[in-house]
Amino acid sequence: MNNQSISGECKKSEHFSRRALLKGSLATGAGATIPNWGGLFHSQSIASMAQKLGKRCILLWMNGGASQIDTFDMKPGKATAGPFREIQTKLPGYKVCEYLPKIAQQVEKLGIIRSMRTTSPDHPDGIYHMHTCYKQSERMPHPELGAMIAKYLGQTDADLPSFVRMGPTGNAGSGYLGPRYEPFGIERNGNMPYFTSPYLPAANESRRNDLLRFMEAEHKKENNADAYESHRVAKERAWRLLKAKSLFDTTKEWPKHQELYGASNFGRGCFLARKLTEAGVPFVEIGQDNYDSHADNFVCHKANMQILDPAWSGLLIDLERTGQLQNTLVVWMGEVGRTPQINNRAGRDHFIRGWTIVLAGGGIKGGVVYGSTDADGRDVATNPVSEGDLFATIYTALGVNPRTKHFVGTRPIWATPEGSKPIKDLLL
Amino acid sequence: MKNTAANKSVNFEKAMLLWSFTWDADWVSAVSFIGEKHFAAGNNLGEILIWELPEKPEPLGESPSEKSKPADKSERPLYLSPKPVRQMVGHSNIINRLLCAENRWLISASNDHTVKYWDIEAKPSGMAKHVLNARTIEDINRNKNSGRKPPTPLEAEVQTQDALKIIQGKEWIIGASLSQDETTLITGDDAGQVVVYDRKTGAEKKRWQVKGWAFAVAISPDLKQSLVSERYPLVFDSGRHTAVKLWDVATSTVQHDLSKEFKDMQIASAAYSRDGKILALGRGGEGEGKIFLIDPSTGKKIRELSPIHQYGVTDLCFHPDGKHLASTGRDTVVRIWNIEDGKMIKELGKPRGGQFKDWFHALSFSPDGTRIAVADMAGYIHLWEFR
Repeated sequence: MNNQSISGECKKSEHFSRRALLKGSLATGAGATIPNWGGLFHSQSIASMAQKLGKRCILLWMNGGASQIDTFDMKPGKATAGPFREIQTKLPGYKVCEYLPKIAQQVEKLGIIRSMRTTSPDHPDGIYHMHTCYKQSERMPHPELGAMIAKYLGQTDADLPSFVRMGPTGNAGSGYLGPRYEPFGIERNGNMPYFTSPYLPAANESRRNDLLRFMEAEHKKENNADAYESHRVAKERAWRLLKAKSLFDTTKEWPKHQELYGASNFGRGCFLARKLTEAGVPFVEIGQDNYDSHADNFVCHKANMQILDPAWSGLLIDLERTGQLQNTLVVWMGEVGRTPQINNRAGRDHFIRGWTIVLAGGGIKGGVVYGSTDADGRDVATNPVSEGDLFATIYTALGVNPRTKHFVGTRPIWATPEGSKPIKDLLL
Repeated sequence: MKNTAANKSVNFEKAMLLWSFTWDADWVSAVSFIGEKHFAAGNNLGEILIWELPEKPEPLGESPSEKSKPADKSERPLYLSPKPVRQMVGHSNIINRLLCAENRWLISASNDHTVKYWDIEAKPSGMAKHVLNARTIEDINRNKNSGRKPPTPLEAEVQTQDALKIIQGKEWIIGASLSQDETTLITGDDAGQVVVYDRKTGAEKKRWQVKGWAFAVAISPDLKQSLVSERYPLVFDSGRHTAVKLWDVATSTVQHDLSKEFKDMQIASAAYSRDGKILALGRGGEGEGKIFLIDPSTGKKIRELSPIHQYGVTDLCFHPDGKHLASTGRDTVVRIWNIEDGKMIKELGKPRGGQFKDWFHALSFSPDGTRIAVADMAGYIHLWEFR
């Protein structure tokens, strides 16, 4: 793997401003805004190297916070164990939950961090923090991981959006990077937003677009100026989206992939993510809901894992099969872990003192279990990892310098907080 | 359980808490009388202990440790609880149901994917030691800042016994029930498998698949009909699934689909009345703990009992007299209902305060109907007597 990073700083023209906001907004044929469609102005000097590397990232977001003890950091025989039992993985001595049998067979691809110690214990702040690596309370609009990846790994002239997400996901958006990198949300089953459907039949739409092109070209010729350039470019991009729209349609392919990914919306989303990244979308996030199990944790997790296991393992297998895995980083995480203590509602509450996140694929060493928690799972025992450390690892794996500096006004902000260190043991 | 004194007059109004047996190793999850003199309890660790009820119980003294029992603020038990005498060894995960046949055979269903049979009259195979308040001690030792001193370990030495018969399943076996005549056992698991067995031999008589996870199961006294409730607890993605259906056991076909009537309700408990004319259903989970009485011949609702349990119902059990029903749930309350008019005639226990304060997991009437045992997740088995 080429670990070459980009150490560029933002150009002044890229700073979050009203102008950038206006420039970054794209209008569809139906008049709605389409964000992150390549870019209307360039950061190519910064992003070109990463783009050449062809890195992609798929984030599997466990909304509500999955339980580490019930998945990858089991504590058999302890009071905190719960009813799930372990199964052996391909990694000698390492066991995972019995309801992750397919992932257990893919463990040689996984870099498992069992020592996340984070600082935002609730949902809105945790979701923000684990999408941006900054605390929500800082009152600075930080960009999500997806927006950063869109900026540094997206193609400015791409037909496809560079930050796609579906299901329950992040809450920060593109932050100070501006609307150009806002996520493009699609439905859980992969359906596109309603506004991507043109009002008119294709032939009428085409004639109308040609007329608009003609009028604008005439105006430009007569006045020797392109007064409507932003609008024209936005329209052109919207038309390109409509042409590329079929990529989002998995109707024909899904029956052939359903067995691999499992018959669920989440599985289908994972398949679509594989398709999109293969087509050049640098960042796709798929959310799986229902992990916030303050009550009846075990039935919730059992049901969720039966969806997650085939979807996630199927994604890894499919990425490998299509030759994408080495360039596609797959991140499995949520906003918090869950308490070792089982509460009196048969639930587990939010927990941030020692929980698990899993990385796989592009830039990550597989078959590595990093860090540990104590015997009962009540705290990190070795190698604590912060939000910043995690993001530094992700950025480094993707070839983006984690100390990349941006400016909001005159204030410099780095991609990861001061002191964040990538986990070298996990990086190729 | 043999109805040895179905006609014995029982005054539910005069209920007294005789014992609160301490067993705080983990949640006590199941309970069943075995004849009049014994009862069994199971817990989340897969342990099953047997207690023998003394002929002449020893009155509870005034020791501070007994005074401070948290199990029921309103009631103190009359007697000192004896220690368990035997352990049924072999399960490795939560005991979901304990059933008794012929006042001798104990049947257990577990998250370890097995149903096990035990003969209470069999000779023991060994000995084992238990600390009955182990979890309390561990909790206090872990939270050293609490200022509390750990209590003296309540040690018990018990005889151990291995299972006589093991039926292997493939998933958590949550639902298990015996027919009225104790000839037939029905189980339901999280793979959606419903299995009907000859209780004596353990031979499989019928098996069918339901869409969700089989939750509550019950079989009618004439053995012709069964109730199976289903759940699949996903809120999103594929959608939450619940179902309540009455099945023809002989043909494994649905007689009455009550799912619309009980839309989005996870029916956690079900029991047929002794004459088979009423089917009681209890809504589980954290929603309103409603109890419904159904006519099993039509699937129509006869009545809904009131007041509801504050949170979900965990167990329902018809009294041997055939005229009363006991219910319990996540509000740590036991209620005795008159079936004929649907009125509550007695409430045992009290909510421990606040929201979501612990569960009573299961209950069991003694064969003569004069006593009721209740499994309390806080680490007790409470035993009330009606006089």
